[in-house]
Amino acid sequence: MMNQIILGLSTGATYSLVAIGLVMMYKVSGVMNFAYANMGMFVTYLIWWLATGAGINLYVSIAIGIAFAAAMGVVVERYGLRPIRHLSHASMLIVTFGILMILEGLAMQIWGTDYKAFPELVTGVPYVFRGDFGIFVLRRQDILIFSILIAVSIALLIFTRYTKFGIAVRAVSEKEDIAGYMGINVGSVLAFSWGFGASMAAVVGIVAAPKVFVSPTMLTYYQIQGFTAAVLGGFETFTGAVFGGLILGVIEKLVGNYISEGFKATISLVIIIIVLIFFPKGLFGRNVRGRV
Amino acid sequence: MANNSKNIEVKNLQVWYGPVHAVKGIDLSIKAGSITAVLGANGAGKSTTLKALAGGVKYTGSISVGDEIIDALPVHKRVQNGIVLCPEGRGIFYSMTVKENLLAGAYRNKKVDYSSVLDIFPVLKDRINQIAGTLSGGEQQMLAIARALMSNPSYLLLDEPSLGLAPVIIQKIAEVIKRINSSGITVVLVEQNTSLALSIANYAYVLENGKIALHGVPSDLLKSDVIREKYLGGVAK
Repeated sequence: MMNQIILGLSTGATYSLVAIGLVMMYKVSGVMNFAYANMGMFVTYLIWWLATGAGINLYVSIAIGIAFAAAMGVVVERYGLRPIRHLSHASMLIVTFGILMILEGLAMQIWGTDYKAFPELVTGVPYVFRGDFGIFVLRRQDILIFSILIAVSIALLIFTRYTKFGIAVRAVSEKEDIAGYMGINVGSVLAFSWGFGASMAAVVGIVAAPKVFVSPTMLTYYQIQGFTAAVLGGFETFTGAVFGGLILGVIEKLVGNYISEGFKATISLVIIIIVLIFFPKGLFGRNVRGRV
Repeated sequence: MANNSKNIEVKNLQVWYGPVHAVKGIDLSIKAGSITAVLGANGAGKSTTLKALAGGVKYTGSISVGDEIIDALPVHKRVQNGIVLCPEGRGIFYSMTVKENLLAGAYRNKKVDYSSVLDIFPVLKDRINQIAGTLSGGEQQMLAIARALMSNPSYLLLDEPSLGLAPVIIQKIAEVIKRINSSGITVVLVEQNTSLALSIANYAYVLENGKIALHGVPSDLLKSDVIREKYLGGVAK
């Protein structure tokens, strides 16, 4: 049971990372990015190709990949979404669908549909702890994912509370027009949110790839679960995204283990429905209300 | 602090909201160091005029500060040039603390100085770490003005600061506006509360259906029958 929970938390931490990226883009720009998984997928291919095909050091490849992802996010927002911001959210959603298909098609054309093995960033024997509580096993890959999640969460917390640009991000996500009147360059905040979100997608691709292999649909399931995690967390706060992901990961693992692997996806959809019925603001949603 | 020797000239300002012609060609002359009031009923185009000054809506015509025409400047650059809007309905960031709201207002500044603004609004000092959404209406209005002042503006555009507030609070706001003005900041005040605006303004424009119907110094406007009947609740003879 203990080990199941740890495994669940590890998968869940990946969902949290997906959710953090989705929430950042949604909070600021108001658009649900359907191309998220494929942005991550495309960058993972790129890193794989740089590291194995072009023979560049894996860590350098990763750095290039994340920088590329950020640039892709900024370009998509600036030239794909901003020109139609004044129309409707639906039209922006359609654009993200278009990007989803373009990236999938490109990946298939360039790299084919075979599964490619992606190197694990950390290898070695897992840590095994024995004690009164029994035995539990901690894989190095799990530790890596937890560390990334903790680092990203702390960085976000400091960024949104104590930096001026972080305050600007929150200001734009609450009242875009007013933020502009305060001297905040709304455009650069929008671009930042997509750059950040796309780099999170790349990070997710990198940590998930050793497990799911590199393929055009490698992150589709992660996007669905990340979305569920974000809904669980209320789609408003990063704290919600983090805990939503962890909770979902554990639930999914327990369902897979004690009921059936086949129910994993079904359960997450049932969770969305239940949460939306009973907690429309999510489990961690804040009721922000003002007096008038 | 305020570099405030230049007048703002507005020439033939026109604003369209889709098919709606909200502002139909108005000229304003805003004297440096003054309080200029823009009055009128709902839908007369007051707020739109103010937003155009701040760069928040698309317009035709020209707005210049001194010799410099600022039409090409986007909204966030105008704040850098010292023009800041305190929007209608306060528009404070509910989910953020009072301090964070003030910090957002100081976004363009290199140094952030809370003390001079908190001197004007001591009530905010006690609530500095409170979530802004939990403030009372009057306090929210104070916060909105304080936030606008954080950027050290030369020109403060106030959109209906008295909206929805109790008479006692309105009196306080009027005193605050006078105090801000006496520190050298030019104020443009959009108001439906005509008597309040005329009591503190140096010059006033009255808008009707997107055009200027009347303008003059308050003492002259107060003598006008039209003003008394339409805006001050006087009885028609």
